[in-house]
Amino acid sequence: MASDDAHTLIQVRDVWKRYGPVSVLKGVSICLRAGQIHALLGGNGAGKSTLMKVIAGLVSPNDGTVVIGGERLERPSAAKAQRLGLYLVPQEAHIFGNQTVLENICMGLAKSPSQLRSRVIELIKQLSVSLDLDAQAATLEIADRQIVEILRGLVRQARVLILDEPTSALTPHEVEALFARMRALAAKGVGIFFISHKLREIREICHDISVLRDGAIVLSGALGDYGDDQIVTAMTRAGTGASPAASTAVNAAKGEARLVIDNLSGEGFRSVSLSLSGGEIAGLAGVVGAGRTELAETVFGLRRAHGGSISLDGKVLDKRAPARCVDAGLVYLPEDRQQYGLFLDAPLYWNASSYLMHKLPFMLSPKREREAFSRFRDAMDIKCESAEQPARRLSGGNQQKVLLAKCLAAKPKVLILDEPTRGVDVAARNDIYALVRTLAAEGVAILLISSDFDEIVHLSDRILVMAFGELEGTLPAGSSVDAIGKLAFGAREHAHV
Amino acid sequence: MFELFARNRVASLFAITILTFGIIGAAAPGFLSGNTIAVVMANSLVLMLISFGTMLVIITRNIDVSSGSVLGLSAAVLGLALNAGISLPLAIGLCVLVGAAAGALNGALVAGLGVPSIVATLGTLGLYRGLMLTLTGGRWIEALPQSIKSLASNLGWGGSVLTIIVLLVFAGLWFFLRRTRSGGYFFAVGDNREAARHLGIPARWIEFSAFVGAGACAALAGVVFAAQIGFIPNQAGNGIELKAIAANVLGGVSLLGGVGSAVGVFISVIFLTAIDSALVFLRIPAFWNDFIAGAILLSVLMLDGRIRLALDKRIRAKRYAIGHGGQNAKPASKEKAAESLHVSSEATR
Repeated sequence: MASDDAHTLIQVRDVWKRYGPVSVLKGVSICLRAGQIHALLGGNGAGKSTLMKVIAGLVSPNDGTVVIGGERLERPSAAKAQRLGLYLVPQEAHIFGNQTVLENICMGLAKSPSQLRSRVIELIKQLSVSLDLDAQAATLEIADRQIVEILRGLVRQARVLILDEPTSALTPHEVEALFARMRALAAKGVGIFFISHKLREIREICHDISVLRDGAIVLSGALGDYGDDQIVTAMTRAGTGASPAASTAVNAAKGEARLVIDNLSGEGFRSVSLSLSGGEIAGLAGVVGAGRTELAETVFGLRRAHGGSISLDGKVLDKRAPARCVDAGLVYLPEDRQQYGLFLDAPLYWNASSYLMHKLPFMLSPKREREAFSRFRDAMDIKCESAEQPARRLSGGNQQKVLLAKCLAAKPKVLILDEPTRGVDVAARNDIYALVRTLAAEGVAILLISSDFDEIVHLSDRILVMAFGELEGTLPAGSSVDAIGKLAFGAREHAHV
Repeated sequence: MFELFARNRVASLFAITILTFGIIGAAAPGFLSGNTIAVVMANSLVLMLISFGTMLVIITRNIDVSSGSVLGLSAAVLGLALNAGISLPLAIGLCVLVGAAAGALNGALVAGLGVPSIVATLGTLGLYRGLMLTLTGGRWIEALPQSIKSLASNLGWGGSVLTIIVLLVFAGLWFFLRRTRSGGYFFAVGDNREAARHLGIPARWIEFSAFVGAGACAALAGVVFAAQIGFIPNQAGNGIELKAIAANVLGGVSLLGGVGSAVGVFISVIFLTAIDSALVFLRIPAFWNDFIAGAILLSVLMLDGRIRLALDKRIRAKRYAIGHGGQNAKPASKEKAAESLHVSSEATR
């Protein structure tokens, strides 16, 4: 198959990908030329990551063709894509925990780690990061894992690099260094797909842009032809645009303080004090690894605190354990729903009542549990075949709704939501936002943890920013994403100096 | 010292083995002799080969419980071939081929069809044993020719041709796993299969090869078995797969995949066999053997587990060192972190 243009590195034509009844990609066509840095934008669940996995040979499409460097990927495989000079730096780093950092970077290459060592050291210098090459990879923090992945991409001397949100865990300084590398590579003829949520970064580094929404390309062309507004509208048109300011300004904290965290320290965070009032949505922003999940897990009794106290409605919660917290009205929705949230092979009704399992009578009554589930199903518009269906077979958005149903079944007074819309499509995401607002209106105090600063701004009555294990500051509702970013990244930048 | 032994399973196992030899030697004079070492070595050969094969599979984060039956099946093929007048080298080649084929079926089930390895090999455990019984008609294969038995005879230095073969397999495996790229892939696949796939490592192919290797090793163990015993009973190799798994665990091969070394397995097999031999020396009735071997295995593993927990706690403390750091901890101060590490390790000791 001849490519239209000798400089075309990647030509994707009319690619479809279906998971069960859900189409994640609906006839996507995109191309990448040598020396081009092509931005790919889209909301969560728009299909960006799937598209990139198709190109990298990790996922085979149901329909359509992928041509890399003039050669058609007939039976896609990662090995073949890499032989053709393509590397995907994934959003979440793949790490071999038992091997050293250097071995991790060089895994799969023809040359041995010791031969490549000097090259890797040079790249580390060019990126101006610090990394102990002989450390065991399991001990790396998330940001460093991301750097390992980026180094993997660079050391491979690929002709095509795909970077899936590479900057999410980097400091502004490191981002600058990465961009300098990307420009140098592009000047040498490397083609780069750059996936990001941050328009500012895209403006800085990219030549062209494509926007995905609900599995289809809705905007594509030279970046200079489009204004920010056009791009944002293209991304979110489906999301019924209730403007953030309008919805959040309504209720400032009015209830009394329900959850009071006083000077709490634990694994990954220290001296955190905050209070939550009934009816309030407090956003807890920060970058990955800032200690937010650790804080939530400590409050919920999953980790041991090193000091400080927590009280709920004036009563001190000591000897915390999840079951006691649930009884007291404090409920936590975990970040990783597949690993910690759902019983994937259990029926949906069983999942929905699982937080209350310790309170169920000795003789179970599936009928009553099913009825309880069907109430949630109607209220939250959970799309499923029956209450008996295993949770594994639901889409991400519906799984998340089931998880929320499980939290609500416990009748929470305080609800901690950890990344409640990760990997959730636009429609379900809006349902979840609406639900969170309704809950707050009913007097539940909500702590919303999210790395998506837009989401934080969209929902929160008050924005807390955590960085490097400490509460960096509090911002009022309607603050700009940039202001949050400054606080969230500030502390790490400090630490590097 | 603590650091070295805690981090290096092979070193600690080696020390324990030496210590055990010393204690038994003190209790039963005459144990520590060249003769004992030769006997222990010879007795360990079958388990050694099975354990090496199982190690390949466990490193890729699978398990193989069919190796005992593969041993039986391939030994039966060997015996039948020899008694049918086929020459020794050809018969051994046939035997190894059968073992590799049996391993290939395991591998095809696991890597090709995605059957969980415990299920697949539990199935073939019965399948291969049944096949062996069908081949032999349920009769023991006796009167093996002298040519195979002579493989087990002492060459004058305490070892036999079989010892040399096993040592060659040991050296080959060590070299392959530690010094070659493909060997590294075995660890990568076992450590994080998704990551390996992502880097273009042919994960399924690696898993398949591990099972084929395990089958070939089990067949070689069948050769050793036939040569040493001189006949092939129906239950040849019965239950040895579990001993091999125990030897792997003791030798530092993680059941979670991605960790292990041929040296560790080598020492651990010697250790387990030495205990068996020592019980004879200590005049403990033979029916205590399994009990004592089990008790020792448990206590070593529990001790190791404790050490590992302490280590994990250190790593955890290191990762969250900022949590201990006090007020000025913003630039994660190294000294503070180190201090808190010492505190936590003291507490766990």
